[in-house]
Amino acid sequence: MQADAMEEPPSILWGLDPIFSAFARLYIQDILQMTESVQIPGIYFYNSHPIYKVDVLGTVVYKRERDNFFCYGVDDGTGVINCLCWKGELLKDKDDGTGTAPAPSDPGVFDPVVELKKLKQAQQKRCRLEIGELLRVRGSVKTFRQQREISASVFYKVDDPLMAVQIQWMMDVPELYRECYDKTFELQSDGHGESAGTPLIKATNLIKDFIKQKSVSRFRPYDVQDLLQPLIFNQLRAASAEPEAAGPSGCQQLRQLLKEVLQILQDEGVVYRRVKAQDEVYHVTEQDKDLLIAVKDIIREDSKREKYSEKGCHVLHILSAVRQRHSLNVSAAALELVLKSLECNSDIVSTSDKHYTAF
Amino acid sequence: MTMLPPHAVFHFPWELNCLGEGKSVRTFGRLSCYEADTSRATLSCQHASKEHHVFVRTSFVEPFNPIIGAQYLVLGETETYEGFGVMICARVLSCVDGVNIALLQKAIEGQRSFFREREHTDGGVAQPAEAI
Repeated sequence: MQADAMEEPPSILWGLDPIFSAFARLYIQDILQMTESVQIPGIYFYNSHPIYKVDVLGTVVYKRERDNFFCYGVDDGTGVINCLCWKGELLKDKDDGTGTAPAPSDPGVFDPVVELKKLKQAQQKRCRLEIGELLRVRGSVKTFRQQREISASVFYKVDDPLMAVQIQWMMDVPELYRECYDKTFELQSDGHGESAGTPLIKATNLIKDFIKQKSVSRFRPYDVQDLLQPLIFNQLRAASAEPEAAGPSGCQQLRQLLKEVLQILQDEGVVYRRVKAQDEVYHVTEQDKDLLIAVKDIIREDSKREKYSEKGCHVLHILSAVRQRHSLNVSAAALELVLKSLECNSDIVSTSDKHYTAF
Repeated sequence: MTMLPPHAVFHFPWELNCLGEGKSVRTFGRLSCYEADTSRATLSCQHASKEHHVFVRTSFVEPFNPIIGAQYLVLGETETYEGFGVMICARVLSCVDGVNIALLQKAIEGQRSFFREREHTDGGVAQPAEAI
């Protein structure tokens, strides 16, 4: 089994694939054909999913018993694989279990010794299989002398006289393949950690980070435009690989992206425009001291009024007051951020989820 | 090094005649007749208003408890005899009376269509189930 090291995702990312830490219910045929990792032997790849433990149900078609283990050949209709089933301490002591039936004791009297013996016998019976019986095995995949095998961590005989378990299994496994194993899992290493994001989401996060780190209180679009330059550049580079890249120019794309980002930030209330004028100035809601003071004053003053003294001011009341006093363009989302920030500083107190008061 | 037998693919009883010699198969049917002296059993099944028979050589699985009229699952290799047809030399013969045959058929069909789908989409990991 040779594998291209380039095709393997780096081992540090394997744990991100949920299938890695699950017992994969693969067809035995696939277990036999999976390629082994060149980075770490003992890990296998099915459809670029890293796999090392599997869950198998099949008919025993071969068996061999050694002192320490059973070796069962299991056939699920697609392949046959050896399953190494280690005998626990329980199976090794031969005096127990295979011996005589428990001595008859008084019915109705609970005798732990007899019960334990019965349990041991039941377990032994489930571990000792004959050809033709159904075996369920969970364990890790190993390659021993060029032969794939499963080293069982759990194995037991399945009583399935009506084939109900087998039929259910046969119906479940194709679904699992369609839903999980045959879907490729995108493992991308991205320094920023936001690998699976559209350019718009990435750009929005970029601006948010910038605002936070530099404690920006207000900005104009051209102040932040350069921040998005690398994103557009990457996009253009990716697009130039395709022959029919005749879209809008980089500059236009940049402006369009910025416009969308600013719209998202406004919708979320992160920024707002105090005055809608030709000169586009965006205020960062949480950094806008004037706005914070205005809201605090409104709540403090109005909480004293008889109308609001008991429950505090309703959010909508605060909103309309802020719009009158401070700026018409404060959105509900922006106000919510302001209220949250004020509450965090204990400047105001919420009396319900929509009412605030101040002392 | 262990010598494992080839895997036995599910086949419907009415498909066996066109399989050829030495294929490992598993199939099902009602036990309609058992001759202990010649170690031969016959499984039968209805499909498309026709009665199909599967002949089984039972010498490897004897002694077993024959229940005439019960559903059995057989796993073994096909042998062809001139003027007689296909006989399965059974490695496993188990009574599964009470099995939901319609559901079993559905499960087999579902598995087949999954393999067909996969063969079409990629030639990579997947190989047809028939490859031995």
